[in-house]
Amino acid sequence: MDSQSLKKFKLFSTLQPDTLDALAQRAFQRKIQAGHNLVIEGLAAEACYFILSGHLRVSRMNRDGRIQILARFGPGAPVNVISLLKDKRINHASVESLSPATILVISANDFDYLLKNHPDFSSALLRVFANRMAKLTDLAADLSLYTVRSRLAQFLIKLADQPGSASGWTQDEIAAHIGTVRDVVGRLLREFESQGLIDRDHQKIILLNRQGLKDEAQKYDV
Amino acid sequence: MELKAQPIINLQGCTKCGLCVSGCPENALEMTDRGPRLRQPIRCSYCTDCEALCPTGAIRTPLIVTWGSNY
Repeated sequence: MDSQSLKKFKLFSTLQPDTLDALAQRAFQRKIQAGHNLVIEGLAAEACYFILSGHLRVSRMNRDGRIQILARFGPGAPVNVISLLKDKRINHASVESLSPATILVISANDFDYLLKNHPDFSSALLRVFANRMAKLTDLAADLSLYTVRSRLAQFLIKLADQPGSASGWTQDEIAAHIGTVRDVVGRLLREFESQGLIDRDHQKIILLNRQGLKDEAQKYDV
Repeated sequence: MELKAQPIINLQGCTKCGLCVSGCPENALEMTDRGPRLRQPIRCSYCTDCEALCPTGAIRTPLIVTWGSNY
């Protein structure tokens, strides 16, 4: 991929021409299918990736196989960078493709080179991390402060308010994102439906009562 | 009649266990040599049972969340 194409992505838009050239020379493109396990938690971290097209999901799994989805990322987002920055280069979380995707692969050695020789590359990554840190702090607060019912109401409102990300969430994925299991999500959706807060129409979950859902979303775990 | 969204079946991840076919309340699925397919797509109510039953996660029924017109 040439440096001008890279510059179209927000993350790379502030990079100096020589940094873009170095990135273009060292990184290579790879196409992956939907459902591909790009990064497996606990294995040696060999590379980081930048999404050129498609969507990836980052998750962690406990010993019982229960999954917590940490984030979903689309074009322009870096993934598995933290794993390369840690002392022990072990994959910190798993990354799976939700759709066919094209990614830019940067090996650990090339990543080290870019960090060391191109400070603007480091600065761009720092800005990304600041935003992600804020989101993870919010997620940690939500998981500890609110009930599952509240977290589901919050999540439904968030999805509906962001039409670009409103499609493609299965009940399993919703459950993993809000820290519960599928059966609970199904039961709560039925309860919301019986309360007149939402309606179901085939693939659609239609939110009917913003204030009612907001009230549900504000209920603290006591 | 308009054909609505249908479950997404990833045949590569399918073990042909048949749970989705036997568990479909609308009898809309059938098993083929390659794996399950919607025999009668029009009958699929998108109940998401097939996704819940699939032990390998090979069936996805993604949901779209949207505001109603009079929220």
